[in-house]
Amino acid sequence: MKVKVKLYTILKKYAQGKVWEDNSIVLNRDTTLQELTNYLAIPSNIGLIFLVNNTPQDKEYKLCDGDEVKIFSLICGG
Amino acid sequence: MVHNYSVKQIRVSLNDYSFKCEIIPEKVLQDYLGGVGYAAKVLYEELDKGIDPLSPENKLIFAPGPLTSYQIPGGGSIEICFKSPLTGAWGESRCGGNFGPELKRTGYDFLILEGKSPQPVYLFIHDKEVEFRKAHHLLGKTVSEKTKMIREELADQDISIMCIGIAGENLVRIASLMCESRAAGRCGAGAVMGSKNLIAVAVKGSARLQPHNPDHFNRTLKEVRKVLKESAFAKNFRQFGTIGDLAGNDAAGDWPTKNWQSNNWGQAEELYDYYLQHNFVQNKMCYKGCPIACGRIAKVDEGRFKTPHHEGAEYESVSAFTAFVFNRDMDAAIHSTYLCNELGLDTISAGAVIAFALECSEHKLLSVEEVDGLDLSWGNADILPVMVEKIAKREGIGNLLADGVCKAAQKIGRGAEQYAVHGKGLEGPAHDPRSGKLLAVTYGTANRGMCHIHPLEGMAYDSGKVTWGMTAYGVPDPNTLDRWEEKGKGAITKTLQDGLIMPDVLGVCKFFMYAGITLEHYAQLLSALTGWPIKGRDLLTVGERVINVQRLFNVREGLARADDVIHERAQQRPLFGAYHNEDRCIIKDYEGMLEEYYQARGWDSHTGIPNKEKLRELGLNQYW
Repeated sequence: MKVKVKLYTILKKYAQGKVWEDNSIVLNRDTTLQELTNYLAIPSNIGLIFLVNNTPQDKEYKLCDGDEVKIFSLICGG
Repeated sequence: MVHNYSVKQIRVSLNDYSFKCEIIPEKVLQDYLGGVGYAAKVLYEELDKGIDPLSPENKLIFAPGPLTSYQIPGGGSIEICFKSPLTGAWGESRCGGNFGPELKRTGYDFLILEGKSPQPVYLFIHDKEVEFRKAHHLLGKTVSEKTKMIREELADQDISIMCIGIAGENLVRIASLMCESRAAGRCGAGAVMGSKNLIAVAVKGSARLQPHNPDHFNRTLKEVRKVLKESAFAKNFRQFGTIGDLAGNDAAGDWPTKNWQSNNWGQAEELYDYYLQHNFVQNKMCYKGCPIACGRIAKVDEGRFKTPHHEGAEYESVSAFTAFVFNRDMDAAIHSTYLCNELGLDTISAGAVIAFALECSEHKLLSVEEVDGLDLSWGNADILPVMVEKIAKREGIGNLLADGVCKAAQKIGRGAEQYAVHGKGLEGPAHDPRSGKLLAVTYGTANRGMCHIHPLEGMAYDSGKVTWGMTAYGVPDPNTLDRWEEKGKGAITKTLQDGLIMPDVLGVCKFFMYAGITLEHYAQLLSALTGWPIKGRDLLTVGERVINVQRLFNVREGLARADDVIHERAQQRPLFGAYHNEDRCIIKDYEGMLEEYYQARGWDSHTGIPNKEKLRELGLNQYW
């Protein structure tokens, strides 16, 4: 299945070589958000926030074809 | 001899322009170290209960810490402590920049200001000399004008200056104290200084650190620099600044919007993109040599919000003038925060009190006449700079808002309190406890109220999964905990607060702990500088002692468990946004978390007062 993935600020570097320029990525069916971050090699100790189609989702969420995923981390500044 | 400290403080009486140098006992320095720690002891012992914070009886303590120095990463820091005219409780305000290191270099560890000058003056401390200078000609000038004029008078462009703006002159209770574009913003320090007829303090010194053990000091410094060089957090702060969190916090439900009606807006990404394209100029160090340099230079090139290059565009300030007031115009936000800094007004409280006014206007609690005929519709960008000026000058509606949301709501009555989101009287900043429950406990129990400095660890732990090396002291790995979970968060809060208050005691920037500098690093630096055998765990004890003394200050002023609250609106289901249907973000058992917290603290669960055993354990028997 094909989904769109957009990474923000400090996470942008993890898209390199894995996410196409149009933000698309091809994944196995029922891939979870956790599995997606593993594939992107985002370190597991970084706190992540997920929006799928602009709705907050947990890392266990199973992606569907055509989903638009946004992944954020926090700089944690005041 | 105590290395690193001069063991001296200067006490200035503005009543008669006298000053004296006082010796500080070594034991006191060991127990309180400096910053908000030493200031807590001084204010608790020297202020009488119930004094008017804007009377000559209040004192302003300028308190660097033992690590405040250009030579130490993060050492560009100072705390100003006082009884807050905004909250009537413990008041502290941190400021970055060169002022802290420069004050230390004058040869004094602390500066205590007392009384009230018969006429406007400014103070000049250069090495150990003190001068009082007339300041009539500075009245009505902006912060940058005052700074420029003082430097010209003293014929030295390197002098570091903290001054009040027009807001401080007008005793606006949300007035800041400014060090150029850096602010000691919260709790109304500017009003306290204005009430003393003191317009500015200028400092210049030449003393340098003299470590007890230079080899140990240099070795530790090298290790600290290595940590910072490899730190992703340090790199992120440098690359994106605090404003880089706009989109992430919005997505996390950590962005109070439309006066806290929601915790999410979905507009931050667009605002941030606009800022990058139109407003961002470059990053900037806040003090000489800062290796993180999270500051931003911003501008608005043209249009009705045209704004010169200035240091600003910081997360809290921009959030206060976008999300808080439902404003989509980034130029207006940049311009308004610039105006706040020039007029000496706390950006967070200013944005919050304007948001409060918008909602009161919407619900007809303020009439058209009462708001000076302004169109106080949500998102009306044009009124933002107008309101800022009115507040700073106490003109029209600004006179009501100049006292903050709590007092303004009391004056308006008719249910206005439901729109006044504050903790202990301090307006809430741009983080939302519905996004992670530990933030609720840190907000509710912070001694100075609902601020963005001390409670920030709540958000960073729950959502950012930051540990600061605190797992060494029993704090669970945040990756094992759900941010929505409430159980257990009260007890964790206690240890995090004890550790994360230490940058404000030691006189360093808190962001360096986020970047990987631990209490053990700080203990090593302090040991090398002073010769005292100190471990990270000893610093935790100091942190706990300081929190308890500040708490006792508040207890004496009449605060109790009933003041450790979270505004109802900040606990409830968001009225709109991506989390509107997310039940987990509703705070269900705040009182239960508070019980856990009190138990961990050793405070009475009914009153919130530290118990006798706890005070004895911390060497505070004399305060029982």
